[in-house]
Amino acid sequence: MKNLLEIVMHGVFFVCALASILAVALICVFLFANGIPAIREIGVLDFLTGTTWKPGNDVYGILPMIVGSIYITAGAIVIGVPIGLLTAIFMAFYCPKRIYGVLKPCTELLAGIPSIVYGFFGMVVIVPTVLDVAKFFGSKISSGSTILSASILLGIMILPTIIGVSEAALRAVPNAYYEGAVAMGATHERAIFSVMLPAAKSGVLAGIVLGIGRAIGETMAVIMVAGNQPRLTGSLLKGIRTMTANIVIEMGYATGLHREALIATGVVLFVFILLINLTFSVLKRRKDA
Amino acid sequence: MTTEATSAAKKTAVQAAEKKPRVYGRGKARLQKGLVYGAAILTFAVLLFLIAYILINGVPHLKPSLFEWTYNSDNVSMMPAIITTVEMTLLALLLAVPFGLFTAVYLNEYASRGNKLVNVIRITTETLSGIPSIVYGLFGMLFFVTQLHWGYSLLAGAMTLAIMILPLIMRTAEEALISVPDTYREGSFGLGAGRLRTVFRIVLPSAMPGILSGIILAIGRIVGETAALIFTAGTMAQIPGLFQSGRTLAIHMYVLSGEGLNMNEAYATAVVLLVVVLLMNTISALVAKKLTKK
Amino acid sequence: MKKSVSLLLAGLMLCGALAGCGGNDSYGAGESGTDDSAASTGTSGAITVISREDGSGTRSAFVELTGVEDDNGDNTTVDAEIANKTDVVLTSVAGNESAIGYVSLGSLNGTVKAVQVDGVDATVENVKSGSYTLSRPFNIATKGEPTGVAKDFINFILSADGQAIVEEEGYIKVNDEAAAFTTDGSEGQIAVGGSSSVSPVMEKLIEAYKAVNPKAQIDLQTSDSTSGMTGAMDGTFAIGMASRELKDEEKAELTGTSIALDGIAVVVNPANTVSNLTMDQIKTIYTGETTDWADVAA
Repeated sequence: MKNLLEIVMHGVFFVCALASILAVALICVFLFANGIPAIREIGVLDFLTGTTWKPGNDVYGILPMIVGSIYITAGAIVIGVPIGLLTAIFMAFYCPKRIYGVLKPCTELLAGIPSIVYGFFGMVVIVPTVLDVAKFFGSKISSGSTILSASILLGIMILPTIIGVSEAALRAVPNAYYEGAVAMGATHERAIFSVMLPAAKSGVLAGIVLGIGRAIGETMAVIMVAGNQPRLTGSLLKGIRTMTANIVIEMGYATGLHREALIATGVVLFVFILLINLTFSVLKRRKDA
Repeated sequence: MTTEATSAAKKTAVQAAEKKPRVYGRGKARLQKGLVYGAAILTFAVLLFLIAYILINGVPHLKPSLFEWTYNSDNVSMMPAIITTVEMTLLALLLAVPFGLFTAVYLNEYASRGNKLVNVIRITTETLSGIPSIVYGLFGMLFFVTQLHWGYSLLAGAMTLAIMILPLIMRTAEEALISVPDTYREGSFGLGAGRLRTVFRIVLPSAMPGILSGIILAIGRIVGETAALIFTAGTMAQIPGLFQSGRTLAIHMYVLSGEGLNMNEAYATAVVLLVVVLLMNTISALVAKKLTKK
Repeated sequence: MKKSVSLLLAGLMLCGALAGCGGNDSYGAGESGTDDSAASTGTSGAITVISREDGSGTRSAFVELTGVEDDNGDNTTVDAEIANKTDVVLTSVAGNESAIGYVSLGSLNGTVKAVQVDGVDATVENVKSGSYTLSRPFNIATKGEPTGVAKDFINFILSADGQAIVEEEGYIKVNDEAAAFTTDGSEGQIAVGGSSSVSPVMEKLIEAYKAVNPKAQIDLQTSDSTSGMTGAMDGTFAIGMASRELKDEEKAELTGTSIALDGIAVVVNPANTVSNLTMDQIKTIYTGETTDWADVAA
């Protein structure tokens, strides 16, 4: 009887474990089945490297959107990672306990704010500010909906992820490291930056990868501040469209090949995420070895 | 101004973090300290500003009438949306938690180390966790809404969300299980308990705080989700049954703002959302504390 | 030396944060208007063109009426910012002196300024009289002949009672001589879905109809014109809503009925000195041939 229960439960656990595989398989099948035919019809090269997106004229090139996603994600990382990491160091090593009790829930709150609230915030605060600042410095731009605005907004949005994960990683480093460093005459700062930080590297990296994932997948907030023009640009002070924005903006209306092209955009996005995850696990494995 | 300052600060920060100086002067230490404090001040300034922004725009528009039981176009009450949010959260958790938890148990307690299947499961969950919510929305629409003919419904939304939060719950639960010392298990086996008993009586209870924190994170994601729900749960402002459409608070806000007609109420909804998130974070912190003490 | 640098940096960051805060005041909640900056510029400089997304009902009506769309398809400039909702257009225009956008007449509010088109004000009266030409129909569509609640509800919309609600909400009636409504007492539940532009008035119509016929249950799904039409075709919705004319492939399967007319207002920032645009100017702005306000201000 007892053994039977053991076996049954073992089976239950096993089946549950298969659920995630099933989910991924389902998602892959549905996305690929709907997206690949469109890519084939448009032509892989035309689709991936075409610089014109005009569904009305049946021209589908998503290079601007791919570049847009990369620009904005990179911008968010450049802004969010240093600030987030330094804040994590502050939280882990500098923050007085009493203040910590207030600040920690605050960062958690930041993580729970829905992205459309960030979007509003970006639209009425960041976008006009960027416009004013750019004009002040003599730029001729006429709108603040730019790559820069989107990067700043996303930089803020990934802060909680980076702070949370990095702080946990820093705290997980044994205290003996710090004590050892200080005992050998290092200052507080030196112990942190030269000993603790390198020791927490893999955790910090994990936080950054999570941040990248959030930034590249963000939709609702980016739509409101990025301008969404489907064209290539080299300027930080011009608008651009990301892959996620492309899907959300046009999905509701699209029919036929247009709709499949949007799902195919989702497929490309999916592949991107896969690549990032793979790179990360390779990095991790190399470190473990 | 903001951008100039931050980009300058950023550059120095990166240099400071990467350069390995031969002489580690006091000046450098001061610089680093300054940077750390500067970044922290900046972060919390932005944060306070953001929260203040929501409160200033929302609180003046919070009226008791916004909490009436029924929604109509003259009084865009958020009560149905609040209840839908609760329904949606519970249903999605009900679907995802057992699967996530049991998967973690299987991976950590049952599967033998180096099992190929384990690797596959790990990779797939990592993949799942990286998929943008809009892609989940697309999938939910294609599969649950169209293929299974559920239509825009609470169930289709909850299923989509359940898949979305599965990796989150699984990963946090696994971390929590790993952190349970092996001596606990050995002790339990040594006393003659079976594997199942060990898992349910010994391992799971001591991993509870970690598991809970994962669930809380998941709730946060559900409550804040828009992109995945618009295509699966629809936008009806009613208290939905399983196969009826409903809108959560985040969707409510999205719809209210959409035509630019109800911006004030949208901001008021944002305040309520903020309170909900805060409430859940507090509860989770308390529960975790209690469980750890025990 | 380094100490001072670090202090300076920290100070800069703080200033930056504060400047961010300070900057907000003039933008407020987006409803204060930007009167503080009025007359500071004799409107010139690059135009920021804001358009709706490809396929939006508002956009397809707009490009068709202004001639932005010709035989080569939709020629909206790629430099146009794309907003996916009306409120994004309104907020963007309200926050940017050089922006131009277009929204449904019913969504117009005080944060932006509607310009005259060919010297005619964008008002309900002018749309009705036909002198303001930027208007489009609100359509509903059914697959085959409607029955039961759907039929009764459509009768209600087109009756004097329904049309009165249409007018009350700031849209234009399609039938001035409609008769009063009496329900046939149908029972049952139907789903209505589609265009977010039509949704607000549809919501009012449903509420009024339920008051007359409490036995009917009508669910309203807000998404967009095209999914409303696809939903009507595949049976998800008994009645689909579109804020544009039905396309040919939709007409093949669906019966469309116009329930109201809606004007499209061309909006600019209140600080903008331009108050009248010709149809041709609007067209060249949206096709990207005109890029500077100085060219249209005269």
